[in-house]
Amino acid sequence: MLVAARDPAGRAFARGRRPRGGSVRCFHFLVLLLLIASPPASAFGPMRLSVERVSHPALEVRDLRFEYEPDEGRARLEIAALRLAGQRWSRLRLDCPQARMSLQALECRGGRLRADGRPLPFRLELTLDTAGRRGQLVIADGAGGRVVARLATDGSLRAKLSRLSLQSLASWLPALADWQAEGHFDGEAEWLDRGGAERIRVRGTLTGGGFSSADGLRAGEALGVELELDAHTRSGGWDWSASLGWHEGASFWDPFYLEAGPVLEASGRLRGDRLEVRQANVTLDGVERLAASASVDLARAHVDEAALSLAGADLARVGPRFLAPLLSPARADQLRFAGSVSAGLRLVDGTLVELDAVFVEAGFSLAAPGGGVAFGPLSGHLPWRAGEATRARLQIEGGRWGKLALGAFDLEVALAGTGAHVERARVPLLDGAVVLEGLALRREEAGWSGSGSAFVEPLSMPLVSEALGLPAMTGTLSASLPGLRLRPGEIVLDGALVVSVFDGYLRASGLRVREPFGVGAYLSADVVARHLDLAQLTDTFSFGSISGFIDADVLGLELAHWRPQAFDARIVSSEGRYRKRISQRAVQNISALGGAGAMAALQRSLLGLFETFGYRELGLRCVLRGAVCEMSGIEDGDLADGGFRIIRGGGVPALDVIGYNRRVDWKELVDRLQRVLAENVSPVVR
Amino acid sequence: MNIKRWIAVLLLAFSSALAAQGNLEIDSPAIAALKGAMQQRHARLAPLYAAGAVGQAADGTIALRDASSVPLAQRGQVNSLIAAENADRLALYREIARANDHPEWEADVRRTFAQRWIDRAQPGWWVQRGGSWVRK
Repeated sequence: MLVAARDPAGRAFARGRRPRGGSVRCFHFLVLLLLIASPPASAFGPMRLSVERVSHPALEVRDLRFEYEPDEGRARLEIAALRLAGQRWSRLRLDCPQARMSLQALECRGGRLRADGRPLPFRLELTLDTAGRRGQLVIADGAGGRVVARLATDGSLRAKLSRLSLQSLASWLPALADWQAEGHFDGEAEWLDRGGAERIRVRGTLTGGGFSSADGLRAGEALGVELELDAHTRSGGWDWSASLGWHEGASFWDPFYLEAGPVLEASGRLRGDRLEVRQANVTLDGVERLAASASVDLARAHVDEAALSLAGADLARVGPRFLAPLLSPARADQLRFAGSVSAGLRLVDGTLVELDAVFVEAGFSLAAPGGGVAFGPLSGHLPWRAGEATRARLQIEGGRWGKLALGAFDLEVALAGTGAHVERARVPLLDGAVVLEGLALRREEAGWSGSGSAFVEPLSMPLVSEALGLPAMTGTLSASLPGLRLRPGEIVLDGALVVSVFDGYLRASGLRVREPFGVGAYLSADVVARHLDLAQLTDTFSFGSISGFIDADVLGLELAHWRPQAFDARIVSSEGRYRKRISQRAVQNISALGGAGAMAALQRSLLGLFETFGYRELGLRCVLRGAVCEMSGIEDGDLADGGFRIIRGGGVPALDVIGYNRRVDWKELVDRLQRVLAENVSPVVR
Repeated sequence: MNIKRWIAVLLLAFSSALAAQGNLEIDSPAIAALKGAMQQRHARLAPLYAAGAVGQAADGTIALRDASSVPLAQRGQVNSLIAAENADRLALYREIARANDHPEWEADVRRTFAQRWIDRAQPGWWVQRGGSWVRK
């Protein structure tokens, strides 16, 4: 370090090299300088002093000027630029309106500080017994806050801090000003120098503390924190240990909201601008053990490397606070967690490079209209490495998809970068299973994309209908969907879902699920049904009784929350020779669906006379658009009076069912259907 | 201007602006559901727009720009609200493109909406222009 002092004539009179040391040593050095510069008298005459530059890894002073006017009893210290412990100040000035300097003593009373031309809210009182190497510095902030620092003959410096306002301090410490710090600090600080080995101890309490970044995304309020710091020099650096007990207040650290409770115990080393946190243990509600280590570049305020290990975290308590805001901020309040997780992760330059998570009986569920999804209890190990392929093995003991319960299954996922690949997973469902094969998913900025195949091993319809709360149906449901594709906002299921039911079958193809997790979620498909036994169908839905078979096409079907929004549906009698009878009640029900005037008066009188009627064919078409069903009947069955034939009678006795309302409000139609079904409760016949 | 009128004006403006390339006022059950959800949410977002906590971003989403005016305990919920609104906005752009039978128009729809949200923002609201936030 180069030091130069000049006499009033500007001639350099002292020049030399100084060993490395802290700022307090510099203070000693300045005192020494004053002593060297002073004439051999008990009181100094007028004095001007300047130091061009003092530099040290932890300290830099440029253009220090000192003036003392003994006749006026005033002194002034100016520093053009000062860097100390990573902080920078410019145009610092200390005015002492009552100053006294002698060989034995140095005094500054009513001292005022200014930085950058602005007065700082501090008053300073300094008395220094230069001969006895003792002294006292009192700094008062005018709002009841005081720092009383005493320099003892053994070279130690002890300070008592009472109601020290962080707000006042912020005018002095730019770093605090950036964070809008507030609150009061009470405590003690101590600096000891034992033969070149320095030691610093600080302990105290912050009350009513607060801070906020400019955008408010990192902030704390009403904070109460107990702080202890102990540091000593070793091999050119500082070994330190610290504890922080947070017992009051709350903090938002985007995206997490945290409340008082955590206690931090940490130790490490500081050398130059490099801060090493060797071991930090955090006591946190819901976590058995949380430990961290880090390497921080203070000059850049950058965490170069960090590692975190977490043991026995109770997901029910930790999940909503720390996982939900990360996994699904839009639906954070709909996510539920259970079980426990242990994890280790490592970050380099703020980027995750390693993650290991071990789940024990963990459970995850997402509530949604229709039941949502749930998985668990789930156990297993999920490892992930940046730039390296890994395999996660999870055992899932069950789950739920909407109203359907899922059985236990194992899931092996190959992970690489942002991609995940599942070779095969068989998820038991009722008495069958959903099988996923070759499922490759990739996380992109807009969401998940990927492709694979899905199959549904036959599920028996009595179980499906029971699980979905539908009338009991016989038959099976299976699916082969080799063209499963996923992209943000859409799931495409190319292939077919086949339900063999009512002695015929129903085949759904062109399945698309759009916006699967949003309010606008809908499913579209084309459904064709062939040779459905009307006797079974009508009995199942308690619609009276119709014997015969139908084919149905429901094209362009769109379901939102399982409710039809659009389709073009056509029902016709199947080809072939078979018995075609319709019961009186079924006729009434069809008429009721058509509203008033659905049946000719003549036929109405006929209806009461017979239990069943013969028919030649039936046909009905409904094109649903904009909540209105455009109805028509059997092809070529339109009547001159505007009616359309739904059932063409045949045999004895025979009757036609004629519809007259071509535009039917869909909601009204559904209401009528529900009324009809509710009023016709009859035993299920298979 | 009340919220519903504001949204109505906005949507009308979109429809005329995009008439050349498609119908932005096109309706579908999904679009209706999304608009309904967004209108409901707007009642909770409007005070945040007015307070400057949330602004109209240049990419057709909304963003938290200054959370200071929001009580600390609610900042997480504001994040959730923003995430939900953005999920719906992106779904709306996709749906409008799909309903026009041109899913590939999604980016154009989004760009047009982004500009219009900004143009139609009320005085005092914050909007993103040229990468920085500006108060209208």
